[in-house]
Amino acid sequence: MTAILQALASGLALGAIYGLIALGFNITYATTKTFNFGQGAFLVPGSLVGVSLLLLAAGKPHWGNLAPSEMTLLSYALATLASVAVVGAIGILLYYCAIKPFVGAGGLNWVLSTIGFGIILQNAALAVWGPASIAVPSPLGNEVWRIAGAGIRPQEVLIAGVAISVMVGLDIVLRKTRFGKALRAVAFNPQAAAIVGINVEKIVIIAFVISSSLAGLAGMLIAPITTASVFIGLGVALKAFSAAIVGGLTSPRGCMLGGFLLGIIEALVGLWRAEMREITIFLLIIIVLVLRPGGLMGARSVEKI
Amino acid sequence: MTILLSRRALSALLVTTSLAFAAPALAQNEIKIGYNADQSASGVAELGIAGLYGFQAAIEDINAKGGVLGRKLVGVVRDDVASPPKSIQNMNELIDNEKVAAVVGPTNSGNALAWLHIPQQKKVPVVSHVATATDITARYMKEPQNYIFRVSMVDREQLALLAAYAIKATKTKNIAIIADTTGYGQAATKDLLEILTLHGIKPVAIEKFGPKDTDMTSQLAKVKAAGADMVISGSLGDATAQVLKSMEKMDYYPGLLSTWGSINTPLINIAGPKLAEKTIFAASTTEDANERAVALHKRLIAKHPNMPAFVSAAQGYDAVTLIAAAIAQANSTDGEKIQQALENLGKVQGIIKAYDKPFSKEQHEALGVADFHLAQWKDGRVVKVDNEIVKALTAADLKR
Repeated sequence: MTAILQALASGLALGAIYGLIALGFNITYATTKTFNFGQGAFLVPGSLVGVSLLLLAAGKPHWGNLAPSEMTLLSYALATLASVAVVGAIGILLYYCAIKPFVGAGGLNWVLSTIGFGIILQNAALAVWGPASIAVPSPLGNEVWRIAGAGIRPQEVLIAGVAISVMVGLDIVLRKTRFGKALRAVAFNPQAAAIVGINVEKIVIIAFVISSSLAGLAGMLIAPITTASVFIGLGVALKAFSAAIVGGLTSPRGCMLGGFLLGIIEALVGLWRAEMREITIFLLIIIVLVLRPGGLMGARSVEKI
Repeated sequence: MTILLSRRALSALLVTTSLAFAAPALAQNEIKIGYNADQSASGVAELGIAGLYGFQAAIEDINAKGGVLGRKLVGVVRDDVASPPKSIQNMNELIDNEKVAAVVGPTNSGNALAWLHIPQQKKVPVVSHVATATDITARYMKEPQNYIFRVSMVDREQLALLAAYAIKATKTKNIAIIADTTGYGQAATKDLLEILTLHGIKPVAIEKFGPKDTDMTSQLAKVKAAGADMVISGSLGDATAQVLKSMEKMDYYPGLLSTWGSINTPLINIAGPKLAEKTIFAASTTEDANERAVALHKRLIAKHPNMPAFVSAAQGYDAVTLIAAAIAQANSTDGEKIQQALENLGKVQGIIKAYDKPFSKEQHEALGVADFHLAQWKDGRVVKVDNEIVKALTAADLKR
């Protein structure tokens, strides 16, 4: 029983990470029907910029390891804001380099160009920071909270809290605000949106900035769990992408649901046979896509081919 | 515009040709040693980086004493970014273009296994200073001359030590294995299974996890349910740290044994100093093992404050020391003669130990299970483990 509870706790913690990253796919897909395939690489500057700022503030070189005493909730929050801003700015660059030349032109050029941009970003980070991973203490301390015998770390709870808040925020922005309406208008028909006076390019850039900022945020949030490194985004981004597909790329709630679902399945299947986790997850993805091509909570899209 | 460009090209060409002519004149007075190892890409890149620091320090020291055969040693360094094709390309380039006398490397066993045939065919001795796969030195053992040597831990040997310790330490005879799904983790699992079979023991659980996983509570729940009181981790330091963190989540602490990867800083940085103390691991040397190690560690840390793993620096240093001794003994930079000299070296003072006949025709491992000890993190430093169980271990326990 404790084992199942622990698996649920661990699965939710893991799922929150997937969901948070998956939300980054949602916002640009909702606007341009494209997204950043290199999103995983955006976690790299997300974690490293913030951690380096904390290190510099502690009077150390920009790499090395952070001691728990050099991390407070305030400094962590400020570093996270800086990270979000920097990675958001990289999002503008991403738009001009990898999206603008291809968007609306059909074809899959944007897939490769965003992957390529991610690889460039990752290797640039490798040149600056090197390969070693930087251990990051959690600003909330490293003890384990116990609920009925199952352990969970404060950082994991923080991630889940932030991820759900971001989801609610995105949901409200997309559904209720003028900006959200503009976003959806651009997605529905860019030409028509332009005719009614929406600055299409501006909307699209904002979408990519938000998406990239979310990767920056995710990078800083997961660093205390995974360590900050150039390789931080490799595995999680693929899972996050799967979560977005399962839950529905068009829906923030769907992305989050997909994330939690994947995390819990991963942990529960691990209780049975660890090597079956990936098999189960991707089988599930195929089944979901067959039954509901738009994902569990995605809009049933009618796409003209 | 075209004229301008071609002029530039012409002058560039002139510069390169004049350099090319100048190079052989210099090379007369140099002996080149190649270094081909991952220094940037994989999880063991830091072993390659620290290994390079040791490699360079040894060359510095030898040159300060006048070099070898009156010639300066020069290190030619290549990064193989943990990719086998790149590693093969580096190897060909080092041997064919740079004409190195010997090569130190690589870090990744898989890369070594991909290019072993090249130095073997071209008769250039290689000393592996990090890669631990058992097969590296064994593959050409039956050839008239085997060009592959090693100054590092050997997986089979360190796992034999861990298994022997686990069997002495367990009260219930319930031993479990947990390892990641990389080639390293799975090879370790296979070796452990074979070694435990020699002891007549069947592990009660064999668990796997992905190389980037951060939560192994599900796998450990099975290990716990199987009643294991000793667990052997067949992964590198960062993954072992995550295993420890998952154990902390479950408040389940069986004895955890791990390979020399745990000597790397990621273990202590990820798991934290207190939790890191809960694993015992195999090590060839530590930065406080002897006064030479202390001195080298101090010198390297002063130059490279971020140096991750001292152990591979010491192994890199000793690899160069042994190669230089062999070149001096062979009185030649001919690969065949160096190989023979390596197999017939006498006493050579290294960092890890004073080598006495480190290699022979049948033995290409400079370090063996007798040189390994068990170590543990204590207050942020690696210290030797010397408890009752270690004292009770005899040579007969080290089945492999």
